[in-house]
Amino acid sequence: MIQKIVTKEELYKLLDSFLQDFEAIGPKELANRGIFYEIIKNAQDLYLGDDFTTEPVKKLFLSPSEWLFKCQYKDSKNSLEEIVLTKTKRIIIGVRPCEARGLELLDKVYNSEYKDESYVNNRNRTVIIGLSCANPDRNCFCTSMGGSNVESRGTDAILFATEGSPERSRGDKDGKFILEIITDKGKEILGSIGRELSEEEKKHWQQDKEKRKDLVKTKIKVPEDLDKIFEDPYWEQVSKSCLSCGICTYLCPTCHCFDLVDEERKRLRCYDGCAFVDFTLQASGENPRPTKKERYRQRVFHKFDYFKKKFGENLCVGCGRCIRYCPVKIDISEIVDKASI
Amino acid sequence: MENIYLPYLAEIIDIKQETPDVKTFRLKFNDGEIEHSFDYKPGQFVEFSIFGEGEAPFCISNSPTRKSGIECSVKRMGKITQALHELDTGDTVGIRGPYGNGFPIEDLKNKNLLFVAGGIGLAPLRSLINYCLDNRGDFKSITIVNGARTSKDLVYKNEYQAWEKAKDTKLYLTVDCQEENWTCMVGVVPKILEQLKPTCKDSVVIVCGPPIMIKFTVPVLLKIGFCPEAIITTLEMKMKCGLGKCGRCNIGNLYVCKDGPVFTYTQLEALRYEF
Repeated sequence: MIQKIVTKEELYKLLDSFLQDFEAIGPKELANRGIFYEIIKNAQDLYLGDDFTTEPVKKLFLSPSEWLFKCQYKDSKNSLEEIVLTKTKRIIIGVRPCEARGLELLDKVYNSEYKDESYVNNRNRTVIIGLSCANPDRNCFCTSMGGSNVESRGTDAILFATEGSPERSRGDKDGKFILEIITDKGKEILGSIGRELSEEEKKHWQQDKEKRKDLVKTKIKVPEDLDKIFEDPYWEQVSKSCLSCGICTYLCPTCHCFDLVDEERKRLRCYDGCAFVDFTLQASGENPRPTKKERYRQRVFHKFDYFKKKFGENLCVGCGRCIRYCPVKIDISEIVDKASI
Repeated sequence: MENIYLPYLAEIIDIKQETPDVKTFRLKFNDGEIEHSFDYKPGQFVEFSIFGEGEAPFCISNSPTRKSGIECSVKRMGKITQALHELDTGDTVGIRGPYGNGFPIEDLKNKNLLFVAGGIGLAPLRSLINYCLDNRGDFKSITIVNGARTSKDLVYKNEYQAWEKAKDTKLYLTVDCQEENWTCMVGVVPKILEQLKPTCKDSVVIVCGPPIMIKFTVPVLLKIGFCPEAIITTLEMKMKCGLGKCGRCNIGNLYVCKDGPVFTYTQLEALRYEF
């Protein structure tokens, strides 16, 4: 790993020089809407401040709705036309450590046995430049999910706003970042800027980095064996206020369930989620998850039991989006933490 | 890398009206090479595409030992099955698969086999029954208990004679209520099993039917003396991808599409599956 100190100015200058050859995507503040991942035409449009994007970076790898193929009917003959996947290289900058970890979890589903071609293509054509969180909010609980606000897993390089960073007061031109270069891809892109930290600085930075983890205040404990309380009335209680709106699944960096839908003669892969009543509803009328209790329990168990049994990790990175945006303030961190009672 | 969601094109070469609401479709792949290489086990399923309507999973109902195109029997029920029932021979559909584990044929060898089917539940069993009959030496006695609501709802009627005539094979047909000119058994499947008391010694039972039938059949089988390990069933579930990705067909940490659809009752008990 290379550790450097870079100024915002040189970083932005470098990014601007990439815009011709690469697609650059990063958080951008949209008036009256919030912060969203957008194509960046000018590095000055980037938002590298404390606040988080509404949608996770997942949508740039798994589109909410994506063509898979088209069935052509010509001269009374059917043929299947595959969608040509774009090979354009791209840089996504400003990806939070939790989201980058989320991609590594999605890899276990989409880039393992039976690879999803489009997802894998999106992964391969992307360089990820992370952004450490200098000001996690009370909904964040990444450090309880085996990650942290300063970890680099899943990134090619990662930026840390320096102490007393002007990024806190947006738009200061003299901002500085610590840059950690993790992979060769990251080195290729960012290797040329900044100066390397001295041994003394490295030591100091290491301590500082450890301390930053304490900024994540919410700590939870996942019960060792959720399976024991599968039948508990607890699940009915905690899901009572759920509106089955599904926002938690759409905004989750790791939720990945989908539907295959035909639109005219196109087949699409679309986001779907366990919160919806028709997710498991069969044509016969049978539904293995007929009420909110079964559906919410499925969400918790998929994340904290089933996935862990298969892949050894929780399918949650503690980003807090499902809590932040839930219209009835259902808090998965609290529900999981208290589930052992 | 290939597109895992891309089906093979296939043509409907034959449609047989089994019951008022069940049709069996025979398909031939457009690509001769696929037609030749498409291999499957009894109990596996395919994702069946009607372009413009969508995709739904159906088990392959003919035996791989009698392959002249694959067959799927479809009960008219929802959106896709309605659309399917409107298709004609010569129409083009899409097929992805085969998916799922299929029946554990090795575990059935040298056993007495009891097949218990209700309604369209005979479809996956038909594939296995004919497979067993074509490899008759590998299995001991074969007993088939097949029930339907009415005699009109019995599927694969033209195969019954061959099954009855096969060596060491018995077929019991039953309908829920007495009908005119009906000479076989009357009563729901669990009741018939109680009467027949088939042997559980060196036996494996393969059950498929509506959940309500399985729910009442399993206790009868356990009472007769079948151990949970020797009770095998194949489940229906809403399955979209068939690849263990789309996330809807799981029971506990197992995906019906990938880890199933064939399970032993021991497995289902451990997963707290309720019929």
